[in-house]
Amino acid sequence: MRVLLTEDDRMIGHAVQTALRQDGCVVDWVRDAESADAALLSGSFDLLLLDLGLPGRDGISLLRELRARRDATPVLVITARDAVEDRIAGLDAGADDYLVKPFDLDELAARMRALLRRSAGHGTAYLEHRGVRLDPGTREVTRHGKPVSLSPREYAVLEALLLRPGVVLSRAQLEDRLYGWSESVESNAVEVYIHGLRRKLGHDMIQNVRGVGYFVPREATAPDEA
Amino acid sequence: MPGASIRGRLLMSLLPLFIAAEIATGVVSYRYVLRESHQLFDYHLQQMALSLRDQGAVMTPPVPNEEREQFDFVVQIWNADGSKVYLSQTRSRARLPDRATLGFADVVTDGERWRVFSTLARGRVIQVGQPYQVRERIAAAAAMRSLTPLLVLAPLVAIAIWWLVGRSLAPVERVASDLRRRDERRLDPVSDERLPAEIEPMVRSLNGLLGRLQQAFAAQRAFVADAAHELRTPITALKLQAGLLGRARDDAQRADALAQLHAGIDRSAHLVDQLLTLARNEPQAQTSQAANVLPSAQVDLARLARDAAAELQTIAEARGTTITVDAPQTLALRGDANALLSLVCNLLDNAIRHGAGGRRIAVSVAFADAGGIARLIVDDDGPGIAAEERERVFDRFYGRATGDDAGSGLGLAIVRAVAERHGGTVELDESPLGGLRATVDLPVLSQS
Repeated sequence: MRVLLTEDDRMIGHAVQTALRQDGCVVDWVRDAESADAALLSGSFDLLLLDLGLPGRDGISLLRELRARRDATPVLVITARDAVEDRIAGLDAGADDYLVKPFDLDELAARMRALLRRSAGHGTAYLEHRGVRLDPGTREVTRHGKPVSLSPREYAVLEALLLRPGVVLSRAQLEDRLYGWSESVESNAVEVYIHGLRRKLGHDMIQNVRGVGYFVPREATAPDEA
Repeated sequence: MPGASIRGRLLMSLLPLFIAAEIATGVVSYRYVLRESHQLFDYHLQQMALSLRDQGAVMTPPVPNEEREQFDFVVQIWNADGSKVYLSQTRSRARLPDRATLGFADVVTDGERWRVFSTLARGRVIQVGQPYQVRERIAAAAAMRSLTPLLVLAPLVAIAIWWLVGRSLAPVERVASDLRRRDERRLDPVSDERLPAEIEPMVRSLNGLLGRLQQAFAAQRAFVADAAHELRTPITALKLQAGLLGRARDDAQRADALAQLHAGIDRSAHLVDQLLTLARNEPQAQTSQAANVLPSAQVDLARLARDAAAELQTIAEARGTTITVDAPQTLALRGDANALLSLVCNLLDNAIRHGAGGRRIAVSVAFADAGGIARLIVDDDGPGIAAEERERVFDRFYGRATGDDAGSGLGLAIVRAVAERHGGTVELDESPLGGLRATVDLPVLSQS
């Protein structure tokens, strides 16, 4: 999962980034609204963590602009302002959820997962496809009930593909899910992870559209649509 | 103990005055009418006597009986030999004395005072007399008549006073009930509409006080709100850092999380220290403790500057910055040593943090204004502060608002509060070194 963290406080930002990275997320961290805006325009993120109390331009105006240009990236707002009217203003500006400081790392992670599920149109807490079940809460993957051991990056690729069955993701889009700005991308990394996943989960689990990208084929009766 | 009511006091002082005025009016009109009637009746007596003399013959005036009853004059005529020729009939059957003084005379017969005019004509003495009582009765009646309107007016005046005072003071009662309905949060001015001019200054002063209270309260509230808000950030960081520590999976992660937690605790402690320093030096804190008086201890500003520089030298060196101090051996002034040390430290801290990339910080302490002012200057060669921003950086937490999370955002607010508490000033300017120059002027108070 690729997350854009917008937080002006060095310590909070560092702690959130560290924790989310430990959870296997790719976290890009910016410290003001302008940088966040630039990042959102240049890349795609699964989720935006937005502190409202930013220096200069505030988070609310960034959020409004984001929604005005029909960017549907899920936004989890983090703020020290806990008055009801502030929450309402935040949600009305386009936030999907709201977390008041001080918050707990586990709660943050749980809310992020919930947001991601909702944005993908899933009602269940896990992703399931052709006997493969992925639980974002525990990061456990099972195939026909038997646990499968995946590396964090294999997990990230599988999660990205399972979130939108039938949708083709390009190599660049998958790389986005795997690497932050500061990390260098190995040239054939995505192919390596896809290969690993196919080996562990069955060859027909992930399909390839030559020159375009990869996808998990949509099932006639996807469990989440049943 | 409340004073007497205005209404009661007015009534109690006006009514005796009114009564005294009535008595004076009565007395004056009585005496005036009495004097007038003296002249008038004397003239009548004289005319009557003279007319009787000129008639020559003795005649009985044809006076009807019923009128005679009201006839107050007594006429008496006698011959030179003393035989009575005529005596008018009167209801009182009074007799005038037989001995006559010519002209006007006051006579007492049978216990009654008479006014008598006697004249001599052809051997006969003609005396016309009238009891004084008649004149006094007329005067008294006139006096009573002049008193009547006043007597009728007196209760009306009393009622009018009662009503007018009540009416004029109704706005006062309104102000009072307005104030009664208030609590400590409602400090807006009381309406001075329709207030009597005498009460208005009081209400205006009250409104002035309310305004000042409101400002002080608002400042306090803003301070508490700001502080609570600002404390949230380091506490959030602490919670997250503690969370990281809890979920650390190996020693490296644990050590890293612990180091972060320590840094977070240091930052929180620093913020709390700064808040306390500011609270101790802010004007409202001073007045509330009635301790606006500075500790009048002797403070050596030169030594304070050197101490502060030594304290921050390590942090400065870690950033590649050198602090130099140019100060005399001693520079004594009276003040609060802790507060002044905090002032110098905050200026230096500010220069270290915000003089980003700067390599030099120069502190100078010297007398200015012929020894009347101790001047502390802190120069840096950093980026400085834009002129239009120089006033706002003194606001609490302004630094935080610009995304500088390194400091508490209170440093310059503390500097200003401490300087002002010492009767001094702070100014920000361009430094000859290229960065920011902070100049603090503190009055050197003579020994007192």
